[in-house]
Amino acid sequence: MTTSKSVVIGVLALQGAFREHIAYFNELIQQNPNDYADYEFNIIEVKTKEDLSQCDSLVIPGGESTSISYIAERTHLLPHLYEFIADESKSVWGTCAGMIFLSRQLLNGKLNQKILGGLNVEVSRNAFGRQLNSFEQPLDFSSFIPGCTNFPTVFIRAPVVTRILSNPVHSQEEDHHKQGVIMTENPYVNNASVEVLYSLKNYDSQDHDLIVAVKQGHILGISFHPELAGDYSFHKWFIDEFVLKRKVHS
Amino acid sequence: MASSSSQFKINAGLAQMLKGGVIMDVVTAEQAKIAERAGACAVMALEKIPADMRKSGQVCRMSDPKMIKEIIEAVSIPVMAKCRVGHFAEAQILEALEVDYIDESEVLTPADKQLHIKKNNFKVPFVCGAKDLGEALRRINEGAAMIRTKGEAGTGDVSEAVKHISQIRQEIEELQNLTSEVEIEALAKKYRVPVSLVKEVKELGKLPVVNFAAGGVATPADAALLMQLGCEGIFVGSGIFKSSNPEKLARAIVNATTHYNDPKKLLEYSTDLGDLMGGIAIGTIKTNERLSEIGW
Repeated sequence: MTTSKSVVIGVLALQGAFREHIAYFNELIQQNPNDYADYEFNIIEVKTKEDLSQCDSLVIPGGESTSISYIAERTHLLPHLYEFIADESKSVWGTCAGMIFLSRQLLNGKLNQKILGGLNVEVSRNAFGRQLNSFEQPLDFSSFIPGCTNFPTVFIRAPVVTRILSNPVHSQEEDHHKQGVIMTENPYVNNASVEVLYSLKNYDSQDHDLIVAVKQGHILGISFHPELAGDYSFHKWFIDEFVLKRKVHS
Repeated sequence: MASSSSQFKINAGLAQMLKGGVIMDVVTAEQAKIAERAGACAVMALEKIPADMRKSGQVCRMSDPKMIKEIIEAVSIPVMAKCRVGHFAEAQILEALEVDYIDESEVLTPADKQLHIKKNNFKVPFVCGAKDLGEALRRINEGAAMIRTKGEAGTGDVSEAVKHISQIRQEIEELQNLTSEVEIEALAKKYRVPVSLVKEVKELGKLPVVNFAAGGVATPADAALLMQLGCEGIFVGSGIFKSSNPEKLARAIVNATTHYNDPKKLLEYSTDLGDLMGGIAIGTIKTNERLSEIGW
């Protein structure tokens, strides 16, 4: 009998579509037993600091970013989330509202909205407009997920990355007085470089690209909802490239 | 233009993002801001909350788009608005206004006593009320991307909300026990929906869209009760802004909806909330005066 390594992936369950992430992880683990024979996975809901302390990896789901932020602060989970994302032996993934929550700077946040600051990016909420402007589009992610050429990508009132902050301290000074711009209060600075994984080219026939997926060291942020895609490729890639690489190397 | 199945995925997808959250009725931009600050995942913009509509005895219609627009501009969370049952022209107006969700609501005076809106004809998503499985499936078949169990709006009495969620759950269990094709076809005929939809529910063991509770929620404990009974989120109407400390109560209901399974936290959230909505006990309202009876 071999001893398998225990891996705990937590999904932040304060508000939003956390059950879908859990279901996708469980399904892909079940359907790929050969890939994960050495591991014993446990996918859990994270509502408290006790839940969080068990996790090797944390997923922050889609939902309303203001709701998630206010509930995290009010239930005293916020400082523990600050610490968790600062621990580079862990891995973290934010989808939609989760990416907003992981940003270092938020262009159009609300009063007292808090952000975790693990990704050195500036994010704009509801960047495509209201629900009537939500859309689904097949995208080619094969440049970072092998073979993933036609992924059904669902954008719902989605945010985008508006800027990569090369030097967070400097940019904070610059933008400090701009109205509505929220800065993280987390002292942690992620020193890995920000990689843009995917941009929507010439969206709306305008001449600029919209960044919708970024990676910075142990943290992944995406604008869209792979947990609604009916395809677990993205979740499998997160386990293989983030969760297990960190777990194994730490 | 998105295909109809893609459009439904996007519309039902927004409801997925609302899950585990609280949607609050608001009548002014100021109340909408309070709701947003309390952590509401969406607001329902309307001119009068159900408790006041009940008292008025007047015809209740779609709200003035001017006030809905003020609320849209005041908050960044999704904004829903109500139209009358069957009133597809009101729905067209609300879609043109770019609300994020339309509630085809029995709380307003119905415009059509036979037909609900053909919601598949719209791009904007709809939520509809239901008090049993047949009603829920008829609404989903018409294109509703979200269901709210009706409860009895404007009463502060949670018992009807409990009754309706329990009813749907029980009927889904009964459906799951059916084994013969003939029985399933008979049930689909009784519910007036396609057999494929009934089979989908049988397979899933739940409704194929998100299901929130509504109608009579007045306390954090009410919210926790409905979440424990299997609802995926909560609509609060009159309860919050009919209480003496709306801001505190709104926060407490949001917290209770997240930590619905943690009695120690619920104790904290239930304590010292001031005067709650007085309400009307459901037994004092005649059956033919109950809003939940509206819908066909």
